[in-house]
Amino acid sequence: MKFDTPNFSPCGDHFAMVQFGDDASIDLNFMALGLTAILKEGVIDGVLDTNPSYNSVVVEYDFDRITYLDLVKELQKLVEGIGSVDKLILDSRVVYIPALYLDSETRWCIKDYSEKIKQREYDPKFVAHINSLTDEKQLVRVHSGTEHWVVAVCSTPGLPLMRALDPRCFLTSPKYNPPRTWTTLGAIGVGGLSTSIYTTPGPGGYNLIGRIPIPLWDPKQKHAIFKDKVVLLNAADRVKFMPIDLEEFEYIEKRIEDGSYEFNITAYQKFSVGAYKRWAVSVGSKARF
Amino acid sequence: MFEVLKPGLETCIQDYPGRVGAFGMGFPPSGPLDHWSFRLANILVGNSPGQPALECQFIGPSLCFKKSNIIAICGSDMQPTLDGKNVPLWESIQVHSGQVLELKSAIRGARSYIAFSGGGIDVPEFLGSCSTFVLGQCGGFEGRPIKKGDIISSDKNESNSRSGLRIMENCRPIIAKNRQWKINVCAGPNDDWIDEYSYKTFLSSDWKVSPKSNRVGFRLEGPEWTFSDKATNKAPENGSDPSNTIDHGYPIGAVNLCGQTPIVLLNDTLTLGGFINPFTVPSSEFWKFGQSQPSDIYNFNLVSVEEAQAEAKFISQLCKEDSMEFTK
Repeated sequence: MKFDTPNFSPCGDHFAMVQFGDDASIDLNFMALGLTAILKEGVIDGVLDTNPSYNSVVVEYDFDRITYLDLVKELQKLVEGIGSVDKLILDSRVVYIPALYLDSETRWCIKDYSEKIKQREYDPKFVAHINSLTDEKQLVRVHSGTEHWVVAVCSTPGLPLMRALDPRCFLTSPKYNPPRTWTTLGAIGVGGLSTSIYTTPGPGGYNLIGRIPIPLWDPKQKHAIFKDKVVLLNAADRVKFMPIDLEEFEYIEKRIEDGSYEFNITAYQKFSVGAYKRWAVSVGSKARF
Repeated sequence: MFEVLKPGLETCIQDYPGRVGAFGMGFPPSGPLDHWSFRLANILVGNSPGQPALECQFIGPSLCFKKSNIIAICGSDMQPTLDGKNVPLWESIQVHSGQVLELKSAIRGARSYIAFSGGGIDVPEFLGSCSTFVLGQCGGFEGRPIKKGDIISSDKNESNSRSGLRIMENCRPIIAKNRQWKINVCAGPNDDWIDEYSYKTFLSSDWKVSPKSNRVGFRLEGPEWTFSDKATNKAPENGSDPSNTIDHGYPIGAVNLCGQTPIVLLNDTLTLGGFINPFTVPSSEFWKFGQSQPSDIYNFNLVSVEEAQAEAKFISQLCKEDSMEFTK
């Protein structure tokens, strides 16, 4: 539920949290990213950083420059200035990410978990099944049939949390319980209503459906795209997965290695929340690709 | 400039306040846990308080100097020696090329800071900071703790620093002898997810530091938590455990409740997750985590945001030249 007015709470001496509602409806994230975009322009002196998520933003501030109470007042004014969420227009790039769906490495992760921790169905089959899709091939068609909204870049460096924008491609699935102890780098996972990509190998709970050959961050800043910014994605970007085969996956890996890979990003578009919502209603959520 | 003879236990380059402005990209700030001792070490050698210096954890390194330098060691007592002779903490010390500085195990506290004159350690900045983030393999010296054979540059700038300066005793942090710490804490952001009983219990109980504590977070052992209606009666997307919530940003200092285990999130934390944060430890208290060891006991003391900020300002005031005196 969206709150009538956002909820503010302090988090220690130099953070504050703004919460727009208490569920995961995408409107709340649009508000969080709308506020984040304004704060990044430096409109409040003393704000040092913003950490947006599904329905909230954590703001870091310098208490030598602004008090908590003044910060809250300024944030309230900004939120009032945004007004209706439908009026928000956000900068939003489209980032095309090649994806090898149903790959052997994530298949191995699932098999390993099944053998060592808890027996489970092959994740893509499981996700297809509980979403009433015919099979994993349709899952690939549905998952790659939509733009995925980057809700937040968070948790570990460069890791995107994403939500499908096309209602015909909404998927939902329970996460692993207990979690996996190991996930391969670049794995595409779905869990709850979200999609994520593992930017570091390690534990995880999302259902694994494929793998990407490109890095989403690079601390060594080898490739030109990481020179100014070490992570590829921003919150409010839209990600489009491009299904590829193993041969192309290996080709892209080589081009990443020698630095000649051309990242496919378009940066001329704006995202209108109102126009998106009208369109989403018009297509409905019953049809599937 | 110095060569690493023995690295110690995950000795890393840090600066203060670390990487600011990178939470939204998934990077925590890193930086020294005990930023009070860290800043004092820097001012002793004539640097500004935040310059890159070494954070030594539990077991210190051995370093061979390749150039003359003024250094200072502050924080935990790791029994430092220079060419085998004891050297004091909290003082600026002249070292010469070829001399060996050796730190051993911490006999009190847990983290010791070595600062170098001439602007501190000279490594490239990553996202505006020289702080090492080991999990992210970035910052500091090649994104990792120092290791044997590393040659590290530390004297980029001219310096008019001098030996024989000391931090006055009343300006230093006092490392608890009885290993029991009073730690200030602010309520929120999710204090309304626990019930009144649990709120009071948190503030009145002994919390023991688990051995599974590090720069990512300090796990605490103590009484059971009980929850309010907000935690037990919520939309299903929040998750099934009372301590689960829809993923939200994690500020450092958050007392992050994972099921029944509180973890105080520190400088190398994950930046987001799906557990509630009923309380948050303010920055003035972080040095206490830096100087505590497993099995130490914490007692939390509720303060207002304004009181917490006043305390942080008070410590910053102490990290200035007025806190120094001549040894002779």
